[in-house]
Amino acid sequence: MRTRGRWPPPEGPRVAIVGSRRPSPYGEAVAEQLALELARAGVVVISGLALGIDGAAHRGALNAGGVTVAVMGTGVDLIYPAAHAVLAEAILAGGGALVSQFPDGTAPRRHNFPARNHTMAALADVVVVVEAAEGSGALITADAALDLHKEVMAVPGSVFSPLSVGVHSLIRDGAGLVQNARDVLAALRVGGEVLDDPLAAPARLGVRLPAERDGVLSHLSDVLALNAAEIARKLQLPVAEVLGRLTALELDGAVRRHQGGYVRALRRGKDRA
Amino acid sequence: MLAGLEVRRVHVEADIGRGGQPGFSLVGLAATTVKEARERVRSAIRNSGLEFPNRHLTVNLAPAEMRKEGTRLDLPIAVAIVLARTHMPPPPRSAFLGELALDGAVRHVDGVLVAARGLRGLGYERVFVPADDAAEAALVEGLEVIPCVSLTAVVEHLSGSQPIPPAPPAGQDLAGEEAVEHDLAEVHGQEEAKRAVELAAAGGHHLLMSGPPGAGKTMLARCVPGILPLLELGEALEVAQVRSLLGQLARERPLDWARPFRAPHHSISMAGLIGGGSGLALPGEISRAHHGVLFLDELAEFQTPVLQALRQPIESGRISITRSGGSVSYPARFTLVAASNPCPCGWAGDAVRACRCTPAAVDTYQRRLSGPLLDRIDLQVSVRRVALETLATEPTGERSREVRERVVGARRRQLERQGCLNAQLKPARLRHLAGLAGGPRRTLERWAAQRGFSARGFHRAWRVARTSADLAGSDEIGEEHVLEALGFRLQDVAA
Repeated sequence: MRTRGRWPPPEGPRVAIVGSRRPSPYGEAVAEQLALELARAGVVVISGLALGIDGAAHRGALNAGGVTVAVMGTGVDLIYPAAHAVLAEAILAGGGALVSQFPDGTAPRRHNFPARNHTMAALADVVVVVEAAEGSGALITADAALDLHKEVMAVPGSVFSPLSVGVHSLIRDGAGLVQNARDVLAALRVGGEVLDDPLAAPARLGVRLPAERDGVLSHLSDVLALNAAEIARKLQLPVAEVLGRLTALELDGAVRRHQGGYVRALRRGKDRA
Repeated sequence: MLAGLEVRRVHVEADIGRGGQPGFSLVGLAATTVKEARERVRSAIRNSGLEFPNRHLTVNLAPAEMRKEGTRLDLPIAVAIVLARTHMPPPPRSAFLGELALDGAVRHVDGVLVAARGLRGLGYERVFVPADDAAEAALVEGLEVIPCVSLTAVVEHLSGSQPIPPAPPAGQDLAGEEAVEHDLAEVHGQEEAKRAVELAAAGGHHLLMSGPPGAGKTMLARCVPGILPLLELGEALEVAQVRSLLGQLARERPLDWARPFRAPHHSISMAGLIGGGSGLALPGEISRAHHGVLFLDELAEFQTPVLQALRQPIESGRISITRSGGSVSYPARFTLVAASNPCPCGWAGDAVRACRCTPAAVDTYQRRLSGPLLDRIDLQVSVRRVALETLATEPTGERSREVRERVVGARRRQLERQGCLNAQLKPARLRHLAGLAGGPRRTLERWAAQRGFSARGFHRAWRVARTSADLAGSDEIGEEHVLEALGFRLQDVAA
């Protein structure tokens, strides 16, 4: 195995956070926040340096000042995707590592990534899947983890979203349900945490919903994009006006554009440390 | 002769020699098509029952340094020969054009409207044109148009034995309200895109729609001419001139008041789009779309150089093309309506079908769209597929006619205020004519700072805000107008 940076990583539990390369804003926010809280609890966050959930997981861990490891499907000297060159540098600077089972100079090849997913599962104590459509590579990681008798957990999503199909089938098959970092820490048996009392109200991830100002926000989803016309129809308002209001909300950071429509922007909660 | 929309006069002189070998010389830098006129003219004269001079005949086309092409000179050459033989004086201030058949019939030539307008400008009062093209020439005011069926008829007219009645001046009556071919009311949902289309029509803004296949982008684009005001007389004549040059004017109704709509396929060549051809360039799609709509579907599939070539006409409303035969300039002031898929497979962002493109492919695809052309498009809107179950219901939106009333009102405000549409306002005039009050200005500036707008992007949003205010009948640009404009901004500018 080729490595760059500090290897092996510091002692401590290791959690792999994996998921879609094209997540919804919801998935991205969950992955980032989950990684942040886990890293703060001393967990080494492992992911695959891919776009989407992987990137969000690395970023979240780095934001907590934590250590994160990128398991690559290319040679460690070749950052793929190129857009993550800066992220890779930040991982190294943060005391983390880039690791690969492939020799230096290995270019991205489709068939190398499933093997990389197995490695990721082997390195982690728990694998958490955040948003995975049917046939997603994240499900390969989950299967590999099961073969290795590691715990697989999943973050639920909207039942309307195709990105929830993979994770929901994992949950149906017995994967642990993740609603917050404590669920994962409990599975790791860290700090004497136990599984949440199923009757108690679930603690939320520390993600803040934007404050409501007018009727527009309550019609928006975190996951599925709606366009101005669809919202205007619900509110019975002219589309030009709704578009203006959405733009004002966007200016305030309360909504964002996603795939030709608008979604609520989820912002990280106040630092609780 | 025509060089683009410019008319060049050719004097045709015929001289019958006093002796020598019988023969027919044609001098004056005639191209092959003109040289061949000798054979057509000879046969046409003989077959019209007239005598072809049995001595040496010289025809001179002046000015001799100008290259002459085409078959328009057939009729004037034949007339010059007949006049020379019969010692008749040429009719005063008259011009001739037309192609001859071997039996003496006068055939259609392209560009008669352009020629007639030019000749009137040169001081001619009477023009002899093929009978087929008389309606076209009769659009020009103050010009007597003699429709010519055959050489015999022309000669009889000139000798006074049987005058041809001039073609009646074409009715330049403003056509009444015409049925709108594609009505906005037929489009299901898509209120956001419809609003963008309305803004584009009202302010002359270029528009990009992106969305999956079958979302209705093409249908929306086809609705644009229907919400634009009908052409004014001058505009209709300009449109007709381009069609005349290409021989595409409807004979029975040469003047069309509807705005042109051109939708070239993405495989189009540079010459096809902006104009081209050997010798002198002919007008391309952008000139055919003059005063109308140029619809480019699948924008990312067009060749990059072809798209780049659109920059000059988009800026100036004209295109100059230089070919071996010289340089010509055509009008090309069109509203660009472009459509694009969000990714190569087209399904990114669709609620039902999953996109199968890699993120890198999506990135490459979208990058192909960006750059200098996108920098000149003021409005961008995402078009989403409408749920199938709503397609079976009766659409409930506004009719094109109602939208057109607002568009016409907004355009009138702009023309009264500044003499041009908002899309054509230069930054200096924009500051002067479309002042931004403190609040709206701060909103725009805040956005620009947040998103790293270029100065161009800033002005683009400003112009659209002005149009939004004009549609609302407001003299001031309000907060809501700026916000709406930003809602239709270009997304690639976003951070």
